[in-house]
Amino acid sequence: MTGFPLKIVTPDGLEFDGIAESLTVRTVTGDMGIMAKHVDCVVPLGMGEATVVIDGQRRRAACIGGMVSVINGSVNLVPTTFEWADEIDVARAEASEKRAQAILASKSATDTEVKLAKARLKRALVRKNVRR
Amino acid sequence: MAGVSTKEIKNRIRSMESTRQITKAMQMVAASKLRRAQAQVTSSRPYFEILYAAIHEIAESNSDLSSPYLVDRGGKKEAHIVISGDRGLAGGYNSNVLKLAVSKMAGQESSVLPIGKKTVDYFKSKEVTMLSATYADAEEMSLGDCFTVAKDLCKRYLAGEFDRVYVTYTRFVSVLSQNPESLQLLPLVRRDDIPADTRKSDIMYEPSCEEVFETIIPEYLGGVLYGALCESRASEQAARQSAMDSATQNADDMIADLSLKFNRARQAAITQEITEIVAGQ
Repeated sequence: MTGFPLKIVTPDGLEFDGIAESLTVRTVTGDMGIMAKHVDCVVPLGMGEATVVIDGQRRRAACIGGMVSVINGSVNLVPTTFEWADEIDVARAEASEKRAQAILASKSATDTEVKLAKARLKRALVRKNVRR
Repeated sequence: MAGVSTKEIKNRIRSMESTRQITKAMQMVAASKLRRAQAQVTSSRPYFEILYAAIHEIAESNSDLSSPYLVDRGGKKEAHIVISGDRGLAGGYNSNVLKLAVSKMAGQESSVLPIGKKTVDYFKSKEVTMLSATYADAEEMSLGDCFTVAKDLCKRYLAGEFDRVYVTYTRFVSVLSQNPESLQLLPLVRRDDIPADTRKSDIMYEPSCEEVFETIIPEYLGGVLYGALCESRASEQAARQSAMDSATQNADDMIADLSLKFNRARQAAITQEITEIVAGQ
């Protein structure tokens, strides 16, 4: 299968730089699949699972925030956080989920606290889901 | 020589030695912190560079100027993010970055978002309007904090509270050289050498160009800010390390000089005593 150059970079470093065969990411408007010779585009990312096929091997990851851009056939995935499925810290995600749920359950939380807790809960759930 | 008592010189040597111990320890602490900071810079640089390149490619090819992030409103209100260290004794590190920031701010209606204790203190004493003084701890600032700042700045920028946003930080070139730099963050600068009609605008934006910019720009700002912060932290440690290294060397020189004086004074005292005994006085 024809591949395309893919770079995955986060503030913590370069996660992947090489030829990939396909990439599926969750954008703000839903899942989007990218293969070689995709039209030039720029799309902000949502929170969800990313799947990359490298040498016929499928790798899953939790990919949150940021953007993906395809320019002249090369793809840059620039998420805020990106963790391969086998690197996800489940204990941390579960602790974060519990904390978020506690805030959502309490009546004294302010609007911003609720908003933050909702986002945290979503991130924790995405991580747990990808890990499974 | 006899004018200076040996005791006095001895005291000075002792105090010099304790100063030397402090500078030596600080140098070693800075060196180990530098290693960590340097690793952080090298790992965050690709993100910083790819993000910067991608955003600018988009800005260049977008010719319809539909986003407020691309239009220079031409006003005089500016916001400066100035990143310095939390502590002194780092050579010219803090004063260089502050000097650059002040020269950039001259003649404009500027407000400042200081990051690092030194900048907070400096602008407080100068009575410049500060957007927030909560980021007095540059060393503890996280990526999350950067995104919070970025979101807030974007909101204020869109509301028209300022027309331009700059970040002033210290670029880490190498262990021996750090340059203070100022970067315009908003509006995105276009290079003027490309004529408008050759700009290609066949990039697809999903769901729409405005929405893409609205979500991506805060992320971009946060990312760039974090990159600048990493660079500044590494620069601070490098500057401190070399400043403390030369301080230690100075102390060594002074101790050698004083030891020589001390020995001469002692010798002179002995000679005088012998002369006195021989003369039978």
